[in-house]
Amino acid sequence: MKGVLLKDLYIAKSNILVTAVSLVVLGFGLSFLLETSALLVLAPVVSTTAVFISITSDAASKWNKNVIAMPVSRGQIIGEKFVFYILLAVLGLMTALIPCVLLGFFSGDITPHSLCLYGSIGISATLLAGGISLPCAYLFDPEKSQIVFMLSFMASTGIIAGIVLLTNLFIPVKENILLAFNIALGISAVWFFVSYQVTARIYQRQDIT
Amino acid sequence: MNNALTVSKLTKTYPDFVLDQVSFSVPSGSIVGLIGENGAGKSTTINAALGLIQKEAGHVSILGSERLDCGVKEEIGVVFDGSNYPEILTPKKLNGVLKRIYRSWDETAYFQLLKQFSLPLDKQIRQFSKGMKMKLAISAAFSHHARLLILDEATSGLDPVIRDDILDMLLDFIQDEDHSILLSSHITSDLEKIADYIVFIHEGHVVFSKPKDELIEQYGIIKCGAAQFDALDKADILAYRKMDCEWQALVADREQMQKKYPKAMVVPASIDEIMLLYVKGEKK
Repeated sequence: MKGVLLKDLYIAKSNILVTAVSLVVLGFGLSFLLETSALLVLAPVVSTTAVFISITSDAASKWNKNVIAMPVSRGQIIGEKFVFYILLAVLGLMTALIPCVLLGFFSGDITPHSLCLYGSIGISATLLAGGISLPCAYLFDPEKSQIVFMLSFMASTGIIAGIVLLTNLFIPVKENILLAFNIALGISAVWFFVSYQVTARIYQRQDIT
Repeated sequence: MNNALTVSKLTKTYPDFVLDQVSFSVPSGSIVGLIGENGAGKSTTINAALGLIQKEAGHVSILGSERLDCGVKEEIGVVFDGSNYPEILTPKKLNGVLKRIYRSWDETAYFQLLKQFSLPLDKQIRQFSKGMKMKLAISAAFSHHARLLILDEATSGLDPVIRDDILDMLLDFIQDEDHSILLSSHITSDLEKIADYIVFIHEGHVVFSKPKDELIEQYGIIKCGAAQFDALDKADILAYRKMDCEWQALVADREQMQKKYPKAMVVPASIDEIMLLYVKGEKK
């Protein structure tokens, strides 16, 4: 899996660098308008676009045909994309933390609580969206999967709102806002794992030509 | 003799094409040429053998194993038509990728082959010509000590000089009796040079699977006029075709036919002519 992951890093290198720099610049820019830690919601989601660049590149070069003939299982090929997705999300989150932490020294509005809250929302949205868009990238052609990729972020926002509203029926969310979003994070993680299992099963039976 | 690859009754159905009970084998230490016109089922056979497409029926055994796990794939070198490597990579970066995929990756052999083929290390694959891409793919296939090479139209679209270089490499590879090659191509002249066996696929069926020497030395074409053609025993004819001024009839034993029809002109048949008569001719 390491070789395939390295291949994806090579493909997405320039995109990763541009995204990282943009996030830092955006972080400092946002500080004049709103709370910088809100960037943590956006950062993991934006960073994962590189996965779809690699999937599109794989399709264009017919890499999947090649790699299946190599000592790599179909499960590993799918597993690598999911791992790559998480890695990019974490990388995005870490990058966005740079302006947040630096600005935190000068302003009081960035607290560990706000960082955890926005970080939790960002990762939840990313995992939910990935759980929708990654299987679709292997089910549909590249054009359709790009549309699904964009729609999945909107869907994930709706799902998170739904989970939080549902949680509110049992726990008062206003008093336990971090707990409510951590529940959403837990559900998103389970969803992402189930999505990986389903995608691996679908891919196992797919004809690659 | 052990078989490096055995394909038995392989079946795959598409809406417009059926690969129907294809069976053949690649004996260890030999080169088997898979021939057939475009769309005959050569690539489908290779794809099914490599597990790229799901087979409906049949068995495939590679290097003694029916299970195509990573251990078996480690010992197979595959080259498809086109390099199929991400075009943003350079040969040097590709080395970094492949050495993490193949346990037996031989970096020294890889760089030596790149040098032999005069391939630049730091140029992106997207800037390579088709010939360069094929050379790169072949370098990669030769750099992990594979025992079985499977090449699907690997020489198509290449100029004769490069093709000749590649054929020489294949002949070198086969010097080790443990090594075997399955080479799919519609450039039959290449196979005439190097193949030990020829498997001919037509419309999803195996028409024949024979030693190349038997085809070249025994098969023949009777070239005759209409009256002479009518006089031929139709049981002797494998396939026939009416040309502008003559009839051509493919026969399995040209010496015997020459004796049987002393007045007929019986000439040796090339693999190309055999294929053409089967594909474009009529069956007896």
